[in-house]
Amino acid sequence: MYKYRYFAVFLYVLIFIGSIHFFQIQLSNPIIEDHGRLLPVKMKAIKSSDDEDELRKIIREAKKNADPISISGMQHSQGGQTLYPNGILLDMKSYNNILKLDKEKKLITVQSGVTWADIQSYINPYGLALKVSQSQNIFTVGGSLSVNVHGRDIAYTSLIESVESFRLLNAEGNIMHVSRQENPALFQLVIGGYGLFGVILDVTLQLTDDELYQIRTTSLTFDEYSAYFKTKVLQGEAVKMHLARISVAPESFLTEMYTTDYYMADDQGQLELNSTLKRESLIAIPKFFLGLSRLNGWGKNLLWKTQEAYNHRIDDSYISRNNVMRSESTFMEYENVNKTEVLQEYFVPIDQFTSYIDDLRKTLEQEENFNLLNITVRYVKKNEEAVMSYAKEDMFGLVMLINQGSSKESIDESGRIIRKMIDITLDHDGSYYLPYYHFPTEVQLEEAYPRTEEFFNMKKEYDPDGRFKNLFYEEYHK
Amino acid sequence: MNYRRFIIYQGSIGMASSMIFPFYVLLLKNVGHSYSQFGWAYGLFALTAAVSYPIIGKLADKTGDKVLLISYAWGMALILLIFPLAFEIWHVYILQVVMGLLGAVQKNSEKTVLARTVQKETAGKEIGHYHIWTSVSAAIAIIGTGYLVDFLTIGSIFYLASAVFAWSGFYIMKREE
Repeated sequence: MYKYRYFAVFLYVLIFIGSIHFFQIQLSNPIIEDHGRLLPVKMKAIKSSDDEDELRKIIREAKKNADPISISGMQHSQGGQTLYPNGILLDMKSYNNILKLDKEKKLITVQSGVTWADIQSYINPYGLALKVSQSQNIFTVGGSLSVNVHGRDIAYTSLIESVESFRLLNAEGNIMHVSRQENPALFQLVIGGYGLFGVILDVTLQLTDDELYQIRTTSLTFDEYSAYFKTKVLQGEAVKMHLARISVAPESFLTEMYTTDYYMADDQGQLELNSTLKRESLIAIPKFFLGLSRLNGWGKNLLWKTQEAYNHRIDDSYISRNNVMRSESTFMEYENVNKTEVLQEYFVPIDQFTSYIDDLRKTLEQEENFNLLNITVRYVKKNEEAVMSYAKEDMFGLVMLINQGSSKESIDESGRIIRKMIDITLDHDGSYYLPYYHFPTEVQLEEAYPRTEEFFNMKKEYDPDGRFKNLFYEEYHK
Repeated sequence: MNYRRFIIYQGSIGMASSMIFPFYVLLLKNVGHSYSQFGWAYGLFALTAAVSYPIIGKLADKTGDKVLLISYAWGMALILLIFPLAFEIWHVYILQVVMGLLGAVQKNSEKTVLARTVQKETAGKEIGHYHIWTSVSAAIAIIGTGYLVDFLTIGSIFYLASAVFAWSGFYIMKREE
């Protein structure tokens, strides 16, 4: 046996080299998916840097090699807004320093890879809070700007309202200052611009004071909701934030609702006691109930009853503004291989809400296999500053969580139902949110966003070579 | 079988397998999507081992322990070169089946060598002594690799462990003096 040992070593070294060679090839062609895992895309390379000059170099290099670039943050967009075949993925997560806090003027300047959670930890000790952020705080500032998010605050609803200025690295690799005074056209294009105009470098955001709120919960039916909102929330001066849920359980499908209002507490002296930022608590229980509700109608009924009961239990409790803006999300992490969960958001004018829900119910009752898990409702005030603005009037935004298969048939089936829902939304003068899978047709896009053509024309003007590309652009531009 | 050489061999393959096993979950995490897939990957490993023990047992008496130890070391050296290339969950399943088979070969041979070598009267002391050295090398490997993962990629750990297995195979193939 000992005779063969050098031969064995020789053979082994050959295979070793071969394996490393293939491994290298594999590494240089990463397959990237966004969080919904419906769109795996092979990209040329992933690049990232915490240095401005490096980022400029990456852009210039890409220009020289004619490589398209997709810019990414946390990649929770579901329509390939951060992906492009054979492009360079510019991952901004490591560009994440907090640069400056002006406590007097309540302004903070941060690099775009910073998450909202990072900002909250930084400003909480100074008694400051964000004006606008999503309910979850795991996203990057740059990503949130690119989709122009909205949150629970009823005075400042779209993120664009709280943006003072930012710097943009354009397709030529040059840096531009953008605000309502400097390059105002870009201000309106980049926010809600899905990374098509350049790389957002650093952003100056307006802050506000951290405040102590008290929670008020109410159960009502869907046809009472618009009136409740107008009289008790908008005119009730003390209410600062608002969130509602409408049932997707078979027993109360699109009829029962409950609302959670956060109003200014009388005794602000208690703020200090409640200002510690909460961490994600034990998630086993909500995860378990959400798991049951994925299975069948019984699970959905159970989840709805439990949620409503829990909600009333938190009535009158105190919570700081910063803590309202850091809601839990890990219990929603979903790890099934063959299925995934997609989001949709539809905006509908306040006065149309009742008739809209009636129409939506009629349609969805015919779709027995459509696994709708959750709908939350938030308020967005009319704001047409961004070119791609969804808030054409004072509206309610309905966020839907849908469980679906990842096979082609399941995707097609979801697409059919989602296009139907969008038609209903558009019939009620509504619009829909763009960061999701490209189910909507071009016609639907243009109806929901009347300035779509202008948006894509401006894209060509600012980036004639098409340096910044993604699947959203690929799907809808002409 | 030279007992001293056997202990050195056991030490080095113990080191190589301790390098990958705790961290191997990190790779599964990159490839798999759910806990049930984790379960299947490990379950297949155990199942293959269970099925192959009777055959391996007979083989050990027929061909001798040394052949089996050599096939284990070289087999592991090769399979670890394939691991970094796996990107689908079924690749991992197949690799797990092969690893289950090899694992069974090793476990069985380790015991047969001991059984054939130690004296009945002092078996406790001898096997205890044997375990000291194999455990020490495993401990060094696990702690050391923890630091290595911070500096190297998980892929390079597999290559490193593969080389250690290859050396062990080479070493045990030496002519008996």
